[in-house]
Amino acid sequence: MTWELFAVFIGSSVRLAVPLLLAGTGELVSERAGVLNMSIEGMMLTGAFGSAVGAWATGNPTLGLLIGIVGVLPVALLQALLSNTLRANQIVTGIGINILVLGATTLAYREIFGARSREQIPGLAKWNPPLLGDIPIFGEAVFQQVWLLYVGIIIIVLTALVLRYTALGIAIHAAGAEPRAVDKSGVSVTRIRYIGVLFAGFMSALAGAFLSIGDIHTFTEGMTRGAGYLAIAAVIFGKWTLSGTVFACLLFGAATALQFQLPTLGVNVPNAFLIMLPYLLALLAVGGLAGRQTAPRALGEAYVRR
Amino acid sequence: MTDTVVNNRLDIREWVRPSVAISISAVAVAGLLGLVLIFAIGVSVPDALSAFVDGTLGSPYAIAASINRSIAFALVGIGFVIANRANLVNVGGEGQIAVGGIAATAVALYGGAADLPAGLPFLVPLLAAMIAGMIWGAIPGVLKIKVGTNEVISTLLLSFIAVWLLYWCVQSPALLRKPMTSSATLPESLEIPDSTKLPLLTGDYSFPVNIGLPATIIIAIVAGVLLSKTLLGVQLRAVGFNSVAASRAGISYARMVVLALGIAGALGGLAGGFMLLGDQYLLKDGFSSGYGFDGLVAGLLARGSVVGVIAAALLFGFLRSGGINMEMVAGVPTALVMVIQGLIVVTLAGAAYFIGRRS
Repeated sequence: MTWELFAVFIGSSVRLAVPLLLAGTGELVSERAGVLNMSIEGMMLTGAFGSAVGAWATGNPTLGLLIGIVGVLPVALLQALLSNTLRANQIVTGIGINILVLGATTLAYREIFGARSREQIPGLAKWNPPLLGDIPIFGEAVFQQVWLLYVGIIIIVLTALVLRYTALGIAIHAAGAEPRAVDKSGVSVTRIRYIGVLFAGFMSALAGAFLSIGDIHTFTEGMTRGAGYLAIAAVIFGKWTLSGTVFACLLFGAATALQFQLPTLGVNVPNAFLIMLPYLLALLAVGGLAGRQTAPRALGEAYVRR
Repeated sequence: MTDTVVNNRLDIREWVRPSVAISISAVAVAGLLGLVLIFAIGVSVPDALSAFVDGTLGSPYAIAASINRSIAFALVGIGFVIANRANLVNVGGEGQIAVGGIAATAVALYGGAADLPAGLPFLVPLLAAMIAGMIWGAIPGVLKIKVGTNEVISTLLLSFIAVWLLYWCVQSPALLRKPMTSSATLPESLEIPDSTKLPLLTGDYSFPVNIGLPATIIIAIVAGVLLSKTLLGVQLRAVGFNSVAASRAGISYARMVVLALGIAGALGGLAGGFMLLGDQYLLKDGFSSGYGFDGLVAGLLARGSVVGVIAAALLFGFLRSGGINMEMVAGVPTALVMVIQGLIVVTLAGAAYFIGRRS
């Protein structure tokens, strides 16, 4: 492998990892607060759809991104309402929302663009960071990326700081581990968990927007193709730590990048196997590579005040 | 002991104990909303409805097609209910159908099944489908008892893997793709030999219901008896209710988990076998598309009851057939059916709260 190809591989690994990184960070916060958010798959799809339609209708991808974020809000609120206020089973609601969103976005897409259209949609601009972008060979291939990636990195760093150093971070952690203690200390568990789910929705919206208007500049039906579930697997693989989740997402991104990279190297591996690879890796990851799993104790349990 | 990933387990009896009336009203409300959506996208509602009825009950062929779909949904749904009795959630029906179809095709085409004595040519591939599905279903069970992996995520990931495995099988001439005679050779398998096709009940292709129907009815009865009248049913329930107490009572948690998920997988694999040997006759990419999820929703809706699964499976079988015809004739995207299903699940999940409060 030449250095040029290696640089392209690293660059596309990062690019393909971005949706997972964004959604995975959101999911991590939500799970730390105690809500298993299966619906990030659906939220990502909503974000991808909303921002694609928004960018197409306004001609402005940044406005499209905002429209995508706003569009995910009702979905996230529905998940939060069902799993916290109505104490519905979180797995069932997640799956229900995902089916609903897949149907609704497909329906709406056909209505707006017609069947099988591959309309090009204005996409988010790339940003060439000073200094880093000037590194020979690697600069352009690795660092010249859609600006949303850099915003995402900032948000992920901020999330790490908030989780570690602030009262809110401690409350989020406690809401998933010892909700009763949180309640006794006078902080509303429900409110913390709403924040967790809404944050997951926000991050999933960014992730979806990155897929549609950041990466391929179009929307296709069901385009998330299980990326949300990969993000959930990344959280498990990362043992519910942010650094672990980020590592897992990068790994899954690299596995996805292989399917575009290996054929150019003349390595003859069946395409289907390469497409399958991230899911296989995720399965291995949640199935033992990560070791014993240490989920937040109250994960998935609705909190009932006594 | 094992369940460290998600403490709250899905228990249908817990999350939704509405009267049947509530299930029916959720379906009705979602259906009405579907009509509103048809109106909103500018299709004449009477046209759409007549296309829907034509696609479901309009001809013996339409009825048979709906029933054949319902069979697959019912089997996946029954498996879901059995696993759920042990408080396990099998979300992997889609993948189990896919591996079942792959195994059935492989054995029917290349396993020498076609030349076996009477009956065996289709029974052997069906058995292979069940075994493949059982293995696919048991893997999450083993992962759960060994490392505590949440079976929801492992069954989902295995579904994606199986779907791409199917794609691989029909893309590669070294696997199940038919011999490449030209570059235009479609990525699909050869058609299975006639002797391996499931016998039709009427022997007539204008009403192509096959022996999958009576077989599914028998399986449903056996499942109902197993869950309510046998020791195994009690053990599954005990494990689902309180795995620690069940262990103290001498019931092996590990065995129950693998068994329950294995049975669910076997039924999913069988569904794939029926679809392939009884309906599609050749393997192609996406042959299972969405069937596993429809079966899952049927299982969710049924609230633990096998009879409920049958009802929901019939509903979805006819809904899907009607939906396909609405798309072809009236131009209503089939995605509408998905919207309706999603609404039903979300509504019922939310409704559980209000029912729980009243009781």
